Amino acid sequence: MTGVVVLDNGGGLIKAGHGGDLDPTAVLPNCLLRPLSSKKFLHPDPLGSHSTAALDLTSAAVRRPIDRGYLINADLQRDIWAHLFTSHLRVSTPSSCLLLTEPPFTLPSIQRATDELVFEDFNFKSLYVADSASLVHLYEASTSPQGLVSKAQCSLVVDCGFSFTHAAPVFQNFTLNYGVKRIDLGGKALTNYLKELVSYRSINVMDESFLMDDVKEKLCFVSLDVDSDLQLARKPGQDNVFRCSYVLPDGVTFTKGYVKDPEAAQRYLNWTDESHSTSGGTIIDVEKPESAEDRKRIDLTKNEFDLTNERFLVPEMIFRPADLGMNQAGLAECIVRAINSCHPHFHPVLYESIILTGGSTLFPRFAERLERELRPLVPDYYQVKITTQQDPILGVWRGGSLLASSPDFEAMCVTKAEYEELGSARCRRRFLR
Amino acid sequence: MEDESSNPLRRMSSRTRKVAPKMVAALASSDNRTQAVLARLEALENDNAGTEVGDLNDDDEASLDDDDDDGYMHKKQSKSTKRKTRQAKALENARKAPRTFLELLHEANLESLPPHIPSYSRAAVGPPSSTSRRHFCTVCGFTATYTCVKCGMRFCSRRCQNIHNDTRCLKFVA
Ligand SMILES: [Zn+2]
Ligand SMILES: [Zn+2]
Repeated sequence: MTGVVVLDNGGGLIKAGHGGDLDPTAVLPNCLLRPLSSKKFLHPDPLGSHSTAALDLTSAAVRRPIDRGYLINADLQRDIWAHLFTSHLRVSTPSSCLLLTEPPFTLPSIQRATDELVFEDFNFKSLYVADSASLVHLYEASTSPQGLVSKAQCSLVVDCGFSFTHAAPVFQNFTLNYGVKRIDLGGKALTNYLKELVSYRSINVMDESFLMDDVKEKLCFVSLDVDSDLQLARKPGQDNVFRCSYVLPDGVTFTKGYVKDPEAAQRYLNWTDESHSTSGGTIIDVEKPESAEDRKRIDLTKNEFDLTNERFLVPEMIFRPADLGMNQAGLAECIVRAINSCHPHFHPVLYESIILTGGSTLFPRFAERLERELRPLVPDYYQVKITTQQDPILGVWRGGSLLASSPDFEAMCVTKAEYEELGSARCRRRFLR
Repeated sequence: MEDESSNPLRRMSSRTRKVAPKMVAALASSDNRTQAVLARLEALENDNAGTEVGDLNDDDEASLDDDDDDGYMHKKQSKSTKRKTRQAKALENARKAPRTFLELLHEANLESLPPHIPSYSRAAVGPPSSTSRRHFCTVCGFTATYTCVKCGMRFCSRRCQNIHNDTRCLKFVA
């Protein structure tokens, strides 16, 4: 029997493994890196690897094959895949099928280049191209067969990933393309925004993408009330529940940065819960806000920087891109527009089957805030139910693994012989309905 | 006059890479604010922020030519290449450099598709229904009520204004 390689080829992370497995074999950044200590671009370590020779990523330069979500550098991707297939998956591509994810509306020129990679460079036996929304739907439907997603055969998948954010209606395992709506913001832009804020306010981290990814993942959260949280964030010293410090790597003892006091960094969770539930109108005593100079002085003498309102102003962009000067609606409106593009018959069940996936939905309180914004935009007689995937980073891959192990899978693929006979464009039609 | 110089767009595109800093400065004088906003949004999609936007491709390719002895992404350059003038090298790099997504998008000419066909351009969520925009101080993050007359960035107080003028004003345009 031929094995299926399941490859969720994200702009930020590659998730790759064998069809039928519970989890991917390898999760690694989809890029090459050049650390300061190296003259060459190198392959990054997979996430969760504890090799003693871990790369010091301080000020590393990075090259990515994916730009704005789409594969634009096939040469670079070939190099990364070759390493993936031989060193991590240890598969022989000519005797394997490939299930590959691709974002919606991939341009024909990019599809052609992708097919060339798959069939001409790696000689895969056959190929199936899937979109992430339908795989997420498939996975959620199969994990709770009695749930609405499974019974109604439809859902609204919100994928907030590295490159962009999509709201996509799915019906009977097919994404309804005419209903897909996109916001041009994802985890990459959020990290860059955080870099910008920290560099301007405390210390220059413009070259530290990997460090700031870590800061973002560990310390950012979604605010439920921006105005009141902004007031709170002005309090000086320890009265400020949002204040926390991140210690920079020194290159000697620590090659990675870390949160100075992880417990204190979580204080805001208790504090705001209390304040939001007990009092209606929040009145907050604002003491004299500390000056930016004070913060700067502290930061320069120690090897660390403080964060306060940056922690929630960064994920805030997803909800209000207009605040940045982008002429795009936020996530709640994006969902409403996606659903409104579908037949009214679907509306109630779509609002009740919203599934969140993608790494950028991992910020604490993401779903709660989304529901608060969405509720007033939706007619009262509809339920709004938002589910976050159990593992929003691996959800797409798991759906792919499930599909790859279904009995129909082989018949859905395009074989190398068919590709050679029909060419890319005609083969691609097979993956549409 | 239908010669090349009558088409400012075309003239710009062929020379963007070489004259980028100057041109950006020139554009800045006519419309600082729009430029600042666009440059900022563009910067949010950058991989190597320390590198200037206009030089990014050149820089990447140059580092590969010099450092890449595995023949990773491209065939190793012959020795003669290194002796070529900087201009010739830049031209060569521009030709073999992978095109950006926006270039591929432009080439795909999606506007020519019939209106009922969903496409990348038509899937964009579109402008927000409310025109209200919140402004945060670019220095401290607090609600900002003032706007810099030179670059359009926001600040909340005299103190933040001073820091803005000293360190950030026109950073994304100049
Ligand atoms: Zn301020
Ligand atoms: Zn200014």
